[in-house]
Amino acid sequence: MKTVLELRELLDTNQVTSQALVDEALVLAHQNQEKCNSFVTILDDAKGNHEKKSLLSGIPYVIKDNFSTTGILSTGSSNTLKNYIPFFNATVIEKLKEAGAVPIAKSTMDEFGMGGTGTTGHTGIVKNPWDPSRMTAGSSAGSAACVAAGVVPFALGTDTGDSIRKPAAFCGIVGYKPTYGLISRYGLFPFASSLDHVGVLTRSVEDACATIDVMKGMDERDQTSLDSSTMHLLDSLTGDIKGKKLFYIKNLLELDAYEKVSDSLKSTFAQFESTLDLLRNAGAIVEGIEFDMVLLNAIPTTYVCISCAEATSNLSNMTGFSFGSRGEGSTYIESMKNHRTLGFSPLIKRRFVIGSYVLQKENQEKFFLNAQRVRRLVVDKMNELFKHYDAMIMPCSEGVATKLEQAGNMLQNDLLEVLENHMVIGNFGGFPSITIPNGMIEELPIGVNITGKVLDDENILNIAYTLEAKMSYKNQIAKEVN
Amino acid sequence: MSKFTAQLVDDYADKLLIGLTREENASVLNEFDIIEANMNKINDIAGLSSVEPMTHPFEIEFELREDLPDESDSIEQLLQNCEKKEGREVEVPKVVGE
Amino acid sequence: MTLLATIGLEMHCEMKSNAKVFSRGKNGYSEIPNSNVVALDLALPGTMPTINKYCVKNALKMSMILNCEQPEYMYFDRKNYYYPDLPKGFQITQFHHPVGINGNVVIEVNGERKSILIHDIHLEEDTASLDHGFDSTYIDYNRCGIPLLELVTEPCIHSALEAVAFLEHMRSVYKYTDISEADTKKGQIRCDVNVSLAEEGAPLGTKVEIKNVNSFSNVAEAINYEIKRQSELIESGRQDEIEQETRRFDEESGTTIRMRSKADAIDYKYFVEPNIPKYKITKEWLENIRTEITELALERKDKYIKQYGLSDYDAGVLVKEREVSDYFESCIALGIDAKIAANWVTVQILAYINKYELTLNEFFLTPEMLKTIVDKINDGTISSKQAKEVFFKTLENNKKPEEFISKENAQISDRKELESIIEVILANNQKQVEEYHNGKSNLFDFFVGQVMKETRGKANPVLTKEILNEKL
Repeated sequence: MKTVLELRELLDTNQVTSQALVDEALVLAHQNQEKCNSFVTILDDAKGNHEKKSLLSGIPYVIKDNFSTTGILSTGSSNTLKNYIPFFNATVIEKLKEAGAVPIAKSTMDEFGMGGTGTTGHTGIVKNPWDPSRMTAGSSAGSAACVAAGVVPFALGTDTGDSIRKPAAFCGIVGYKPTYGLISRYGLFPFASSLDHVGVLTRSVEDACATIDVMKGMDERDQTSLDSSTMHLLDSLTGDIKGKKLFYIKNLLELDAYEKVSDSLKSTFAQFESTLDLLRNAGAIVEGIEFDMVLLNAIPTTYVCISCAEATSNLSNMTGFSFGSRGEGSTYIESMKNHRTLGFSPLIKRRFVIGSYVLQKENQEKFFLNAQRVRRLVVDKMNELFKHYDAMIMPCSEGVATKLEQAGNMLQNDLLEVLENHMVIGNFGGFPSITIPNGMIEELPIGVNITGKVLDDENILNIAYTLEAKMSYKNQIAKEVN
Repeated sequence: MSKFTAQLVDDYADKLLIGLTREENASVLNEFDIIEANMNKINDIAGLSSVEPMTHPFEIEFELREDLPDESDSIEQLLQNCEKKEGREVEVPKVVGE
Repeated sequence: MTLLATIGLEMHCEMKSNAKVFSRGKNGYSEIPNSNVVALDLALPGTMPTINKYCVKNALKMSMILNCEQPEYMYFDRKNYYYPDLPKGFQITQFHHPVGINGNVVIEVNGERKSILIHDIHLEEDTASLDHGFDSTYIDYNRCGIPLLELVTEPCIHSALEAVAFLEHMRSVYKYTDISEADTKKGQIRCDVNVSLAEEGAPLGTKVEIKNVNSFSNVAEAINYEIKRQSELIESGRQDEIEQETRRFDEESGTTIRMRSKADAIDYKYFVEPNIPKYKITKEWLENIRTEITELALERKDKYIKQYGLSDYDAGVLVKEREVSDYFESCIALGIDAKIAANWVTVQILAYINKYELTLNEFFLTPEMLKTIVDKINDGTISSKQAKEVFFKTLENNKKPEEFISKENAQISDRKELESIIEVILANNQKQVEEYHNGKSNLFDFFVGQVMKETRGKANPVLTKEILNEKL
């Protein structure tokens, strides 16, 4: 189970053919499907690609099922789209096609990206390849599971609140969310448009660079997309981070501040300290800063208000009229209502009601607009910090992947909630953000997250790359624990 | 005592053309209370009302599109996912009134 | 008691452009349903809006014409509601930062000038169209996404007459600027009307909204009916029965009918469209657009009256349609005398194009050709009567007027020639000459007639009369 760069080497030296890679990936896909339920659709008739067009030519990959793919079922893991077949490709899919990469499956997700567990998709729960009694986190659940299991070297993901970066941590792989707008969202089923990012799950930082290099680019169909033609992610990796400055949020890492201190939390923090030392040994400066606790506490609710509001509006097109399964009804209202009531899962229905509530005229000021104001305060604070630091580094989570039986998608109300959800800061400000594995707790992986300033992707990828080289988790394949 | 009621939640859901089960309704009620409590704290942040709401992650400069139309997509493609159609049009139950 | 009606208007006008405003599909009329449609128009998942520069430019142009303030940054908002003609479940419009606010426009009502205050003008997209069948409705997305300019007045209009004058004025502006075809028959203009009644000097009464009125005459009828309905209620002491509600105008009965009350009012949950970042409107761009604004009808009319000495009526006829005014101004630019040109245009030309239902663009006789004809009248080559013949021959045969002005057809304007002809006629009609000298002065026309008969109508009438006067 090789990385993209390793496969490129093998292909270029004719040690393996693309068709062989594709065939192998398909076999592994079916096996992984049995074990983890990673896929909505496996493309059994996928063909190898023997033309050399780019670094990715001939290499098999997986597409999260919220990307439009011509002629291929694209469901967003929702019953509302269970039979939906687009007639156009999302821009990023088109780019990967031109680059010669070979899609072999569409992966399971949380419905429309609106969940963090991988348990709300219409074709069922996605299980963690390290331990099938645990979740992968979400929403890029299937993509993380299949890359971790070695089915393919890379898979597309999307990240609105941490939906690439948390699954990457729970599955022991690399999850990279670039600067907002670096990759076009045209053809991506939207969740919350001002927070949605396209990104990738891989098993090495170099692979993340190589794949995003191909996927990024300004798209005239997405007026929020940016010109990144002067950015060359793979080429700018140097492995030298001497003098780079990183900060971590002190007040989130004090054990005393937590009501419940589990062994897991202690271990996570201890391993995080070790990771910081590795950075220091490489010449980086790492220090803790105090981040306004009031703002930190406000983050989860701010995220809920903004994301639910935008989602409610974005998914108002799901009526079953011009596409989607038609709802029963003798009036148009009945028909629309049946389509939506039966087609959406309970979690996202709840999200919609919240979203609708915060947008009501009488509530907007207090909820939606104030949430947008908090967003600005948080982002301003981060930009202040980025004037003095290259990046923020934090543990991704309290610990390892949660047991499925404990998976709640409900909102909590404590400091752990803040720690678990802090990566949404990366979405608030559109900051480039990458998760790489940095340790193990009882043979299950944990991850660390590095976030930098807008358009400074090259810098934070380099930091991640350098750190990765100092650890032993690069290209690790999930080893099921007993 | 929560200011939210099951009826209120049903009303909101109804306006979204979504029906909720009793369980779903109860979950929403619970979440409403948490959000309400948190937003109350947030509202106490000094100077919040003078902060400009943030609608996009950062200032994005972009070009407006030139006035050149794309070719229309074919009717087969446009309606390929439509379950009820008549000729070239999408068919829905008769809309009365407005 | 004297009740004063206060009226506010919202005028929606479909804009001309090649492509739709947020969709890349074609903006054009088609008989064939769903023939100008792309994926975004159906709101297929993952499609995204992008803004059309040409539509924004024209929206800003109209904003400036209406003397509005333009924002530093332009934003778009979502207006959220569910209806089969709204595939996204929201309309992209402008709620918080429209392209123009606080403007005013001067119109003419019954010969008097009045200033109408504009609350705002904003750019938005149109909905799909619904064809109602027997027990089904059919959706045609051709119209979905077509650019609309919505203009909202302050409640400063006080009669149906004023309202229609305003709407007519705006229609003229839209056509003059070519921003819209502004054809009510094609459904390109739709109006919402707000009416309230109160005693003069008292605070405004309860506002009633009448939605989707699709012709100016219907606007007038709706206003007058509503004024009558509300007055009756007020005068019989039942004014609390006037509710703040939305009504529709029923053409058949000429009445307004309730649609929904304030309690059922829809909350549109407006918020900024996240897929469209704010866009900076630079001063340079605005100045650039301003240079494209040509004189509009009222300004041209004033000019024609003051500078060219035309009558109010004639000036009015000339400016009613921009094409006509442009034609007239081309004539002036070529050197044709204003009053002569005005006469030709308002009498001969308009009569012709109205009779044959042509537009001026289809009309064969160009200003250059008209100049040729007028010049030939001026230098005596042809008479005005002959000129009319040349005019029609030109049009009938689609050939240049010169072809019909030849030596044979030419007017006889040579003095010596006419003198000799006249001398012969006088000599042959001695009896009549005597009678003329004895007081039968109406015989003058007889002599003119004889000259005309002899010259087969070609004698220059002015010269003929001159010479006759000398000889007689």
